[in-house]
Amino acid sequence: MKKSYLKLVWSVWALFLFVNSAIAQSLNWTGYVRNYVGMLSSKTNEFNIIQNTLNLNLEHSKDKVAFKVNPYIYQYPSQEMEIGLREAYMDIYFSSMDVRIGKQQIIWGKADGVFITDIVSPKDLSEFLLRDFNEIRMGVTAVKADYYLGNNTFELVWAPAFTSTQMPDQSSIWFPKMDFPVVPVFDYSQNQIDASLENSEIFAKFSALTSAVDFEIMGGAMWDDEPTTHITKTINPETMQLSGLTLTPQHHQLSLAGGSFSATLGGFVLRGEGAFYSGKYFNSDNPTLADATIERNYLHYLIGADYTLWDVKLSSQFIQQTILDHDEYIQNDEFENTMTILASKDFLRETLRLELFSYIGLNHSDALIRPKVVYNLADGFELLLGANIFVGSEGNFGQYDKNDMIYTKIKYSF
Amino acid sequence: MKTKLLPLVLGLVISSQSALTFAQEKITGLQIIENVYSRPTGTDSQGDLTMSLINAQGDQRVREIKQFIKDFGDSEKKIMFFVSPADVRNTSFMNWSYDEEDKDDDQWIYLPALKKTKRISSDSKSDYFMGSDFTYDDLGDRHPSDDTHKLLREETVDDEACYVVESIPKDEEYMYSRTVTWILKDKWIGLKKEFYDEDGELLKTLTVKKYEKISGYWTILHSEMLNVQKNHSTKMELTNLKIDSGISNDTFTERIMKRGL
Repeated sequence: MKKSYLKLVWSVWALFLFVNSAIAQSLNWTGYVRNYVGMLSSKTNEFNIIQNTLNLNLEHSKDKVAFKVNPYIYQYPSQEMEIGLREAYMDIYFSSMDVRIGKQQIIWGKADGVFITDIVSPKDLSEFLLRDFNEIRMGVTAVKADYYLGNNTFELVWAPAFTSTQMPDQSSIWFPKMDFPVVPVFDYSQNQIDASLENSEIFAKFSALTSAVDFEIMGGAMWDDEPTTHITKTINPETMQLSGLTLTPQHHQLSLAGGSFSATLGGFVLRGEGAFYSGKYFNSDNPTLADATIERNYLHYLIGADYTLWDVKLSSQFIQQTILDHDEYIQNDEFENTMTILASKDFLRETLRLELFSYIGLNHSDALIRPKVVYNLADGFELLLGANIFVGSEGNFGQYDKNDMIYTKIKYSF
Repeated sequence: MKTKLLPLVLGLVISSQSALTFAQEKITGLQIIENVYSRPTGTDSQGDLTMSLINAQGDQRVREIKQFIKDFGDSEKKIMFFVSPADVRNTSFMNWSYDEEDKDDDQWIYLPALKKTKRISSDSKSDYFMGSDFTYDDLGDRHPSDDTHKLLREETVDDEACYVVESIPKDEEYMYSRTVTWILKDKWIGLKKEFYDEDGELLKTLTVKKYEKISGYWTILHSEMLNVQKNHSTKMELTNLKIDSGISNDTFTERIMKRGL
């Protein structure tokens, strides 16, 4: 970011603050300031992240209208500052309907830490899955209408412009591991989706909250938030050997239908979620394919339970992805099985919390284990010490085996 | 309204026009507790709840909640919005409880950081509410049939005539081995309650500090729970109370949990 641009941003911001001082009494200001330091536990003991964050929620409402703006700033000592708007929307309230217009995070489904029917808001994976979930979710510019009938809700979302998942930079330690016989060249020319009516996304959901069970039924016609990498090979005509690879990330249109539920059974809360995806492109090693991709439908589903045992809150989920009409060349397994486990316990009148969360990849015996200790020094002031431990050598988590880290977060909410 | 919420702490208490149909000398411990449990109250109520958590060193932490309660005949619905501290602001909690004896409460919590409404189990009634000295069960409604009740004696407390009733849980695994409650004879509210732990030692004492008649209902406005073993306490104050104000049924929905008021 150029300095002049920074000055402009700060000037606009200062002006914004000044103007708002006039209505400050009715403007609701909340947010947090946070310091986040992470150190790789490899032999270099390198600080892989030193970040200072300001996150603001500015809200104002009248009888039938409201707005919210959520600017954030990530400041790094040796990187460019990141400034953005996580959300910026307006609400209009009718007697049985709400309409939200603007950039917004839209969260669906009953799963924790897993994205099955939760596909409206793309993800910021620039730090893999390590950011807080409200930071992983990216706002999507959309019109959302909710029609209410008691505790039943019909929701319709129209997103005129596609927003892609934020992938890690190629130089990042979180860039997915790729093994190629030659150094590939990336071609990002196909990575953009022009904003047009034809390219817009639409989602619909019916949800009900009842005494017996909560459930959602949903569907969508969308773009795949995560691009598929199309691979073009260049063969040296003289040696007939591979001389070059061009990787072209490309988004494809997807349609999906699914649902989720949660219900109590004794002391347990049972949760389930599943979706059928049509139009997904997977990478394939089939030599007859020109760009090493093949279209297949797939199913993605989970079953989970939450329960408390000896004052320890426990939660576990089993997740499976099944590729239909699978063949031996498709790089993904036909069945990919993952588990999550969460255990947490509060001490000292809920001022101290010990927590352990883990993703476990069952196909590759890999895992991400995330223990943490959180202490509330004062109301709204939180000290966190945690670790991210990657186990295994391959798979979604094992590929980051060298990225084990310990970190601290000091956060003041206001 | 069936009084599910805070029967001894914040309960909205009607004076005893229906009071005792029993001759005073014949009343039993069970009848006294049933009178407390089944007394009629208003149809709905709303107010601001402030909990002050005080530790052994005298340090204080404050939690502020806005709450709404409504009787729906065979069920009672409650919704709470957390106002402070800042890190839980806009979190909301909804509870539906039922007259049906074996039917568990339904509970949901809306977490603004996750933008998600989660169904939670109501099974952990022995958990402490927001780090206070009140368990969910202390704040909720315990059915008279869950305990065996015995009228121990009659006493005068602060110039008020009280029944003193001992209640012993039928479930031997319950967190309290017994409780002793001082109940005002003419108002059917608990003025004081002692909680004994599994070893029979005094664990906590609940004391009502202030009660008034609001909109025709006796209402406890200020109470204090003292953990005598750990020497920390929780003060609970109810302000801006409105009774029978005509809260809409639509208040007790996921829509309002997410949007707030």
